[in-house]
Amino acid sequence: MATYDFLFSSLGLEDWCAEGQSDGPMSMADLLKKTQGTSSEPDSLWDTPFPSMDALNESCAAFPKSRELTKGLEEGFLSIKDSLSVVLDPLTQPLSWALDGTLYGMLNTPWWIVIPLLLAVVFFVTKSWKLVGFVAGSLFLLAFIDYYRYAMETLSIIFVCAFICVLFGVPIGIAMSRSDMMQRLTIPVLDMLQTLPPFVYLIPLIFLFSVTESKLYGIAIILYAIVPVIRLTNLGIRLVDKDVIEAADAFGMTSQQKLFKVQIPLALPNIMAGVNQTIMMSLAMVVIASLVSAPGLGVLVLQGIRNLELGVGLVAGLGIVILAVILDRVTKASLARINASQKQ
Amino acid sequence: MDRNIKISIRNLYKIFGPDPVGALEHVRGGMGKAELLEKHNHVLGLQDINVDIHEGEITVIMGLSGSGKSTLIRHLNRLIEPTAGEVEVDGENVLQFNEDQLRKLRRERMSMVFQKFALLPHKTVLENAGMALLVRGYSVEEFEADAKKWLARVGLEGNEYQYPHQLSGGMQQRVGIARALASNSPIMLMDEAFSALDPLIRSDMQDLLLELQDELQKTVVFITHDLDESLKLADHLVILKDGHIVQQGEPQEILMSPNDPYITDFISDINRARVLRVRSVMKKTTEAPPDCAGDISDRDNLESVIARSDGDTALTYRVVRKGKQVGVLDMKELVKALVPTEASEGDARSRY
Repeated sequence: MATYDFLFSSLGLEDWCAEGQSDGPMSMADLLKKTQGTSSEPDSLWDTPFPSMDALNESCAAFPKSRELTKGLEEGFLSIKDSLSVVLDPLTQPLSWALDGTLYGMLNTPWWIVIPLLLAVVFFVTKSWKLVGFVAGSLFLLAFIDYYRYAMETLSIIFVCAFICVLFGVPIGIAMSRSDMMQRLTIPVLDMLQTLPPFVYLIPLIFLFSVTESKLYGIAIILYAIVPVIRLTNLGIRLVDKDVIEAADAFGMTSQQKLFKVQIPLALPNIMAGVNQTIMMSLAMVVIASLVSAPGLGVLVLQGIRNLELGVGLVAGLGIVILAVILDRVTKASLARINASQKQ
Repeated sequence: MDRNIKISIRNLYKIFGPDPVGALEHVRGGMGKAELLEKHNHVLGLQDINVDIHEGEITVIMGLSGSGKSTLIRHLNRLIEPTAGEVEVDGENVLQFNEDQLRKLRRERMSMVFQKFALLPHKTVLENAGMALLVRGYSVEEFEADAKKWLARVGLEGNEYQYPHQLSGGMQQRVGIARALASNSPIMLMDEAFSALDPLIRSDMQDLLLELQDELQKTVVFITHDLDESLKLADHLVILKDGHIVQQGEPQEILMSPNDPYITDFISDINRARVLRVRSVMKKTTEAPPDCAGDISDRDNLESVIARSDGDTALTYRVVRKGKQVGVLDMKELVKALVPTEASEGDARSRY
């Protein structure tokens, strides 16, 4: 006898419950209970269990246990997995190519070409010699302690993922800013992506894609890092001065002219702030993604944890900090340059 | 002066709220603004507006904040859609325009100057001035000469390659005016264009507008909450209150014969000597006065006449227009005209 027997008997469902009776294997808890010989009937009202799936199952064997919920979800996912892969595989294949290509390119070009090239890019976007000096110093330090290869792997992954985030995030943000409906639909998804623990992304992805493919970690990083660029593009365009928009309307701009000549240029500081955040979040995720074979400094951190190699882990962590500071300073400096050109 | 009607507003209503058409029935049935808001939670923006805007004139729409003047001007180029009524520009009903026609109207026939300037902060002064042309698809090289010409005309020579944030408020609004002029449209809508400027610069800008108007004869619709400004600029003055027109007409006429205690009260504080002109207080006659103290123009304001007479009320002046006598001004009449018109009802002041 269990607590909620009365419920099923009063509803006249005893026959249905009896159908579910089986002598199949039971859970560990059931076994323990059986051997200890305790009844599942609570002694007092104080101990009444919540009418949960498991509690109801005790009264009625046909009622599913909560274990079956997670199992059902798993089976459902596995059953659609193959057809999902047929669609997703070709769609995401370019991501693998981009990641592999960039990694190959960065790692097989001699350091004396890659480092000056990176410094040139830094100068181009920030026009600041001080920053170029700082980046040069940091890169030489990493190279000197033989972390050059790992750092470059991490950097290439971030470049590719951040680029793709911007490529998709900005148009999605624009679409959100133009339609309240779209905004209402997108925001819950963004909220979910942002609050879901990063490890959780990895679980379904491991089932969907092979761990040897680089798109697996690519997708995990992009899903995690795309949120700020979408949010801030949407926000930036919505925050554009209403008076300026009205002037654009009054002078007969088409909505396309308005978008490209007024809204996007004026939203650029916010969009750039989003790009900065996106880059920082990809860096955070690239470390976690080393669990699913993403190369780079994260692998060393993981090695540090797994093998208790304190020194390796700490130095790799420090390397990540250096990369983070470089990326942050460079994007912030270019953001400041844009801001300066359009003070109100 | 040309008296062609350029824009004609007929029975225009605007009601803000979830069901404006339903609320319109109540308004047509005689419900007032306060009652509509209380009972149906709709805001009556404009109520039965009828205005003819003549070509080549400055029509000033004046009212306090909340009177619906900014809403009204936005109906002319349909930045706001009316609930009911008609707006005709050159005889065409703007409200029946499709998107393309409307865009063409906004690009080629109407330009607008804004209270907060609304310049593009990321474009140079030159590009801002040429915005209307840029929108029509001209390149910067093509409109550069034109834009520079208008910038020079409003006194911004040498500032072409600066950015708006490097200019003072007055200079930014000059860019706004140059932008409207460069579009070469016959109609200029000015929404509180000078309200954000300090008084001295505002006065400068008013002079600039009058000067440009003498030269270009545009059809200007000017919105303001400032009575002095409206009297200075207006050829035709429309006074709005709570969304309806209280009185409209020639400003001097409104000053001399206000038809509503609201207006009487409104104009009681102004310097009548500076605003009133000789033609409004003179006696129309071609007979020469017996003892003439001299000739004055019909466009002189009373202040200048008083200064000239040195305060002597016994004098009589001959009023001339273009060399011909059009009237006679007795200084006694002038002094009487300086006393504000009494409100038609004794308790007018206590009511407002």
